[in-house]
Amino acid sequence: MNEIFIDVDYNQTYKAGQKIGGDVFLQSRDPVSQQIVCTLSDGLGNGVKANVLANLTANMAHKLSFSPMHLTKSAKIIMNTLPVCNERKISYSTFTIADIRPNLDKTVTVQLIEYDNPRVLHFSHSAVIDIVAQEIELHREGAFKHEIIRQSTFSMAQGDRLIMFTDGVTQSGMGRSLPLGWRQAGVVEFITNILQKDPHISSRELAELITRRASTLDGLAAKDDITCAVIYVRKPRKTLIVTGPPFTKERDAQLGERMRNFDGKKIVSGGTTAQIVARLFQTKVKVDLSCWSPQVPPASKMAGIDLVTEGMLTLGKVATALENKTSIYAMPDDAVRRFVMLLLDSDHVSFIVGTKINEAHQDPSIPVEIGIRRTIVGRVRQALEQNYLKETVLEYI
Amino acid sequence: MGQHNIMVKICVGTACFVQGGADLLLYEDFLDPSLLRICTIEGTSCLHCCKTDDQQLRAPFVEINGVVHANVTPKRLIELLREAQHA
Repeated sequence: MNEIFIDVDYNQTYKAGQKIGGDVFLQSRDPVSQQIVCTLSDGLGNGVKANVLANLTANMAHKLSFSPMHLTKSAKIIMNTLPVCNERKISYSTFTIADIRPNLDKTVTVQLIEYDNPRVLHFSHSAVIDIVAQEIELHREGAFKHEIIRQSTFSMAQGDRLIMFTDGVTQSGMGRSLPLGWRQAGVVEFITNILQKDPHISSRELAELITRRASTLDGLAAKDDITCAVIYVRKPRKTLIVTGPPFTKERDAQLGERMRNFDGKKIVSGGTTAQIVARLFQTKVKVDLSCWSPQVPPASKMAGIDLVTEGMLTLGKVATALENKTSIYAMPDDAVRRFVMLLLDSDHVSFIVGTKINEAHQDPSIPVEIGIRRTIVGRVRQALEQNYLKETVLEYI
Repeated sequence: MGQHNIMVKICVGTACFVQGGADLLLYEDFLDPSLLRICTIEGTSCLHCCKTDDQQLRAPFVEINGVVHANVTPKRLIELLREAQHA
């Protein structure tokens, strides 16, 4: 696993009264090169039409950024492809593309392309750094305005952040609390204050604070779609998940050794596993009856372990929540929510999966969702990698 | 003279939880307050009683004053606690 991690997350609030957004954020990571591409697009208008425009733009920009084609050509293809708005008789959508490639020296090279979105912010710790960009005019046939693309290439080090947002953020509060809206300067000041108070804030939390502030400035009824994405280069935060008893008793000590040496948060998922770990660590498991829901058995407490949960049911629900990208605010305060929160705040997730079969789970009267541990762990891994760009490793014991 | 502190451990292992244990955890809703007052109720990880071929010994399991009971429903739990109270 790498010594740096690129934490990418975003937050979005739709325009008041809309059930679909006209801002689209896409992210993907190449598993081999670790290249990350993030695309943010704001479609003309709002609702379904804007969503179609933004989705088209973001997806095209995303795909084209992985191709060797020159960016001006890519931009022209995108603009020529967009459908024409029936009311305004123009085809238009903004976009920002960040192509992020980790280097061997713990730095990251970013190629940034911006078209008509508010300027992307580059923070080094709590200080904002100017992005020196080259402006390229497209001279596209049939263009209704000067189409200028800003292109920049720069380096980011550990502790740096890239923050991109749509005009729903910079224009929030316009005509209400602020005559010209929050504006870029206001956003910079807000982020600086947060980073001074909480230098290690995760991308998820920072993006959420920014969109929440913008929404508040709009009187909690957003005037436009509000989207903010944060890319944070940091030391990886590691979590270890231990689930299932080792295949033989002799391997219990090996499991204890691995857990003791692990530098990061630890989750034990499984009643029998928890009992083994408690014995190895000479401590006790205490069931916490304040944390459960009818769908998931209670979490437990154990000294030295950040979270102890039941195994298969909890893991199954964690997998579903991660696959569906369920908001933690929509979950009851149970073991699944705590599990997901720990995972979302981690960058590297290691699994140690015990392969002993639990005879009690082979009973035909047990619900079908008590599946095979390896399958459920596979689902959790896949969702963490694909939906949240986390790095995972798996080991059987 | 009745017993004034009844130790109750409800198994919250997977097998018990999905076969009725979740209902038992709602004990505050179905236990009489007078009974609740004299009970110390906690959850416990697997009591290892579910790994048996005996069809009579089915989940959920509850341990009351050190004795494990099988097939415990909310109604059965009330009966067991009444028995323990008057033991």
